[in-house]
Amino acid sequence: MRRLMYEARAQLASPVRNPRMATVIGRLLGLAFLLCFGTGLYSHFLQEPLSWMVFPTRPAGLYQLTQGTHIVAGIACFPLLLAKLYVVFPQLFVYPPVTSFAQFLERASIALFVGASLVEITIGLLNTYQWYPFPFPFRQVHFALSFVIIGSLLVHIGVKLPLISAHWRAERTAGPPEQLRAGPTQEGLPRTRGLTGRILSYIDATPTVPARTSRRGFLATVTLGVATVVGLTAGQTFTPLDALNAFGPRKKGVGQQGVPVNRSSAQAKVATAAMATDWVLTVASGDTERSFSRAELAALPQTDVDLPIACVEGWSQMASWRGVRLRDLIDEAGGSPDSDLRLISLEQRGGFRQTEMGREYVRDPLTLVALELNGETLDLEHGYPARMIAPGRPGVLQTKWLSRIEAIDA
Amino acid sequence: MGSEAEVALPSRRIRVARSVLVAVGVLGLGLGAYVLVDSVALRRLPGLALWIAGAIVLHDAVISPLVFGLGVLTRRAGHRVAGSVVVTVQATIVLGSLMTLIVLPAIAAQRQGPRNPTVLPLDYAANLGLFWLILAVACAAVSLWFYLRTRRANQRPSRIQS
Repeated sequence: MRRLMYEARAQLASPVRNPRMATVIGRLLGLAFLLCFGTGLYSHFLQEPLSWMVFPTRPAGLYQLTQGTHIVAGIACFPLLLAKLYVVFPQLFVYPPVTSFAQFLERASIALFVGASLVEITIGLLNTYQWYPFPFPFRQVHFALSFVIIGSLLVHIGVKLPLISAHWRAERTAGPPEQLRAGPTQEGLPRTRGLTGRILSYIDATPTVPARTSRRGFLATVTLGVATVVGLTAGQTFTPLDALNAFGPRKKGVGQQGVPVNRSSAQAKVATAAMATDWVLTVASGDTERSFSRAELAALPQTDVDLPIACVEGWSQMASWRGVRLRDLIDEAGGSPDSDLRLISLEQRGGFRQTEMGREYVRDPLTLVALELNGETLDLEHGYPARMIAPGRPGVLQTKWLSRIEAIDA
Repeated sequence: MGSEAEVALPSRRIRVARSVLVAVGVLGLGLGAYVLVDSVALRRLPGLALWIAGAIVLHDAVISPLVFGLGVLTRRAGHRVAGSVVVTVQATIVLGSLMTLIVLPAIAAQRQGPRNPTVLPLDYAANLGLFWLILAVACAAVSLWFYLRTRRANQRPSRIQS
């Protein structure tokens, strides 16, 4: 066993498998993880705010930027995580596997770190495809695993800190020691017989690529890998990359009235209620309650705004909206723009049938109860008869098929 | 940490930073576990554990050996050509496989029927084929460039090569 472990490590020796490369790739991966974690928390708290939280409404494309970054950094984790695991692969064959309880805990935390990270980015990717072949709920698990990952990342950095700080900067003496390290290390090891021995000597006879070429090739591959997966998908949110969007789960301009759809009217089962001629939007504030038909809403002063729909799945689409300013509507109904609102959709079920909107969005002059999209009457798929559109909020909170708006008494 | 006598002891600053990182990390792990148990039904947790273990096995026992074997085979097959050409071919295979890994689930989800027509609207299979084609052409071009450069360098009579 011991010999096998030594052999395995010797075979896996490669000029890119060293602590310096682990530090270089690890830094990038750590950065990507932190970006994902930060933007993920922001998105989480936008959807489930704590009572004291107030969010910025400018720039209007803030959520478009943060969630676009979340998805871009997440997809960049695929090449980065695989590269990091490639660099440290020989560590798998450390012999003896366990030397102390502390070291056992460390190895266990790394196994958890690796497994949880792989699952986290995989289910994140699958969620952007709206495909859920896994036996657990996405949102809750994706959220909980993020703490597990950041926790085990910190433990990992803590344990490896002396190594990381020793290799933070490139070694200035690039000469002899490196060549020694890259040279064959299997001399003096007992040879294995039989089939295993043959395979090992076949591998031994494999020509090596010069260390410098191999290192540069590895770094170039990782760089190109990140550039490729990001460049060919990020066009779903970053307009300059739209022409390169060959693999993004969404395409700009594809959808009714040029805007993609997250939840369709068929999924939400709202077609009948939304197309009913007696539809009204009820605005309730304290004891006063007022209902507006669509014609009455259209008769109020109309405002035009350009705001993006930015989905939690990472795509976004700029659009022109026309409708009634929310604060004017609240005013008209005798309410105060200084209270938070509860928005209720015609949907019968679904996690976002009923959501809350902080007063900072209610006051904002860009927030509309929209009746038109890109110059046409709002399509049923985009929330006809009326929907909410506010700056800097995730798409799931831009309530479609509005039915009722209530002031929440403080 | 049995061989601490051999390794230079980490400085005090590093030891303090290390304790803080590990402590905060353990807190994070605890929070994650709490959130998990608090928000996910207990009967779902075995499925999650299976996925995490499966991801480790899939990577360590399937992907890594494949990559290792690929490295050996490409170096063997290319033992007469310059190292830079071998690395170019390896990079091509890695980039193609990476994109395939990410796009295959999209193709599978598309086959299952997306939830509405604006989800997965592109022809991912055709785009993936095109991507491999472009990759192969680029690989050939870069390899040719490396090959010509190496030959030119070798033909130059008496320059000391480092």
